[in-house]
Amino acid sequence: MAIARLILVTGKGGTGKSTVAAALALCLARRRPTLLVDLDQRRWAARMLGIEPTSDSAGGVAESPAPNGKGAAAIANLAAISLSADAELQAFIERLVPIKAVARRMLQSRTFGYVSAALPGLEAFLMLERLRIVAGQAALEDRYVVVDAPATGSALELLAVPGALEQIAPLGTLNRLAANVESFLADGSRFAVMLTLTPQELALREALEASDILRGRLNVSVAAAALNCVAHRLFSRSELGALGAHPECQRMAQWRTGAGGCAARARRAASRAALKVIELPMLFSPAMGRAELEELSRVLSARLFPPTSARPAPAARSAKSE
Amino acid sequence: MTTADPSHGLFAGRLLICLGPGGVGKTTVSAALALSAAMAGRRVDVMTVDPAPRLLDALGLAHEDGAELREVPLAGLAASSGAADLSDLLDSADLSGVADSSNVVERGGARRRPAGGAGRLRALRLDPKRTFDAIVARHAPSPAAADAILQNRLYRNLSQALAGVGDYMAMERLLELSDNPTTGLVVLDTPPAREALDFLDAPRRLLDLLKSRAVTLLGGGMRRGFSVVDIAARAVLSAFDRLTGLHLLGDVQAFVRSFDGMYAGFAERAARAQKLLAADATAVVVITTVEPERTAQAHEFIVALRTAGIEPRAVIVNRMLPAMPPAEEIARARLAPALRRKLARAAQEFAALHAREAAAIASLRAGLPAALKLLAVPDLGREPAELTDLARLGQSLAIL
Repeated sequence: MAIARLILVTGKGGTGKSTVAAALALCLARRRPTLLVDLDQRRWAARMLGIEPTSDSAGGVAESPAPNGKGAAAIANLAAISLSADAELQAFIERLVPIKAVARRMLQSRTFGYVSAALPGLEAFLMLERLRIVAGQAALEDRYVVVDAPATGSALELLAVPGALEQIAPLGTLNRLAANVESFLADGSRFAVMLTLTPQELALREALEASDILRGRLNVSVAAAALNCVAHRLFSRSELGALGAHPECQRMAQWRTGAGGCAARARRAASRAALKVIELPMLFSPAMGRAELEELSRVLSARLFPPTSARPAPAARSAKSE
Repeated sequence: MTTADPSHGLFAGRLLICLGPGGVGKTTVSAALALSAAMAGRRVDVMTVDPAPRLLDALGLAHEDGAELREVPLAGLAASSGAADLSDLLDSADLSGVADSSNVVERGGARRRPAGGAGRLRALRLDPKRTFDAIVARHAPSPAAADAILQNRLYRNLSQALAGVGDYMAMERLLELSDNPTTGLVVLDTPPAREALDFLDAPRRLLDLLKSRAVTLLGGGMRRGFSVVDIAARAVLSAFDRLTGLHLLGDVQAFVRSFDGMYAGFAERAARAQKLLAADATAVVVITTVEPERTAQAHEFIVALRTAGIEPRAVIVNRMLPAMPPAEEIARARLAPALRRKLARAAQEFAALHAREAAAIASLRAGLPAALKLLAVPDLGREPAELTDLARLGQSLAIL
């Protein structure tokens, strides 16, 4: 299976977005150098992995893959960066106003803060433009990029920005930049989304809606839907019934059955929607640490790189298209 | 755990604000709290600002136009949800002078009214764009001025994107709801926020924006007293316009100019909102779940609130594991060996998750003031989809 150069992980809040992003980064890092990008400054995926992201968003991309960790344990082939809208705006203004002192004073002025806030989607757009550059660089260096994105709603808004900008600015530089970003987002070898969901009704519905919007209106490919926290059924219906004489036992069995959620329905609905589902097990462990992430990353690995297709050569294919 | 006072004083005031990070079930918990208060006899309006119709879904109103208040039928809930304990939800002493005090269910006696009889629940979903349009129409000096704003390209793109507009619009609707004398308690779900104060700060930020020199700068021509920075900002904008082909400057100016006559109206509303938020009858709760990411965020919220002088009334931990009988009890049951093994496995799995949860609660508590109550809402094992689910959630609030 060909893996997009950059995979953006998003999903409903509480479905384990950061967990899946971290596990995916671990999984990809076993094959090639991988960059984990955080978009909202909380850096949770990186923190789960115990690596320290560099926060320099403008120049940090090309830096060494080793995390600049003080006490943070390095993971082979895995680096993390954190992008911020402010830093992107700053880099953009500095490009526009070559006199550093003037640019700096401007960025410090409250006035300018309000003005830039009034430019529709500019900051969001600059983040996407940065992702495009990061992905381009990753193609040259044959790396993977995993983006730990905000929750579905915000992520969809973010991805809709270039299209909106193209309409607002029918001509000029920004139009050209927006068109570039749009074609980057539409190129399945360079950009794809991985949706996360849990076997719960609302999470399933949100994932299906998101997939519709992504593939339809936004023209973005959805690499897979990671169905997280799947607990396989332990008690059969008749066993649950047989426990009627033992209410305590029945309560336990019912809890365990409920923990499974609607995995079967999620599986069916996703396959009807032509989504590739990757099931990740619910981990009944007293902590969610590195070992647990490794376990999830192995499951991802087995599904993304099935052993039968011995040489998937995803890099070669995507490099060609760039 | 104790359930002696299931409301923990949360329903006594006039306004209950639910803050919290995204994905913790804030909408569900606010709906459950609102429903409990209504079943306890209060006249409640609940507003969600989440654009997904989740709350309305749970309240059985998904097919309606959610932007308007809809009454939620409470009939039939009393029997299934143990109304006998509900009178304890109210502290009637706190209700003196509150508009719906006549509806207070009498305490402790046999003459309790059935839940749903006296109380009332209405729900709505915030539509920021519509609310903003309505405000523009109300405050604009003339219909022509209102039209000019509504047609402005920037306004059309920005009325939702402009930082804080959604929060401000929630505030605006909140004022409307709390102006209604027939409403006793307003329960407010808030937009998913990164920072606790994003929402509470919205009126001040919008006023700031309107007062800022950017407005004068962009609205009028060049006047005296502008620093080089302002001029540079203007220069950058025009350079930006030239380079990008956006031609925004003209729109920005027109936008800002058209707000000229509206400042006073905005200022008055914002000042009232600020007063309402600071009132004694306003309670703030922070909602979270036990995942480390959420508890860390909830903790940041609480610190920020307290720094701003707002003492949260409680932290509500949603989706807690239900109470289970001890493993020994399960081991004692006489069952077929295969079933017994399965149960042992389930008990073991439960114990692991329980340990994870206990550690999360301990670390959450460690960073909080001792007096701050931690309340648990249990996981139902499925999405709460019906009113009875919400009622169950609301009534199982338990001190951790």
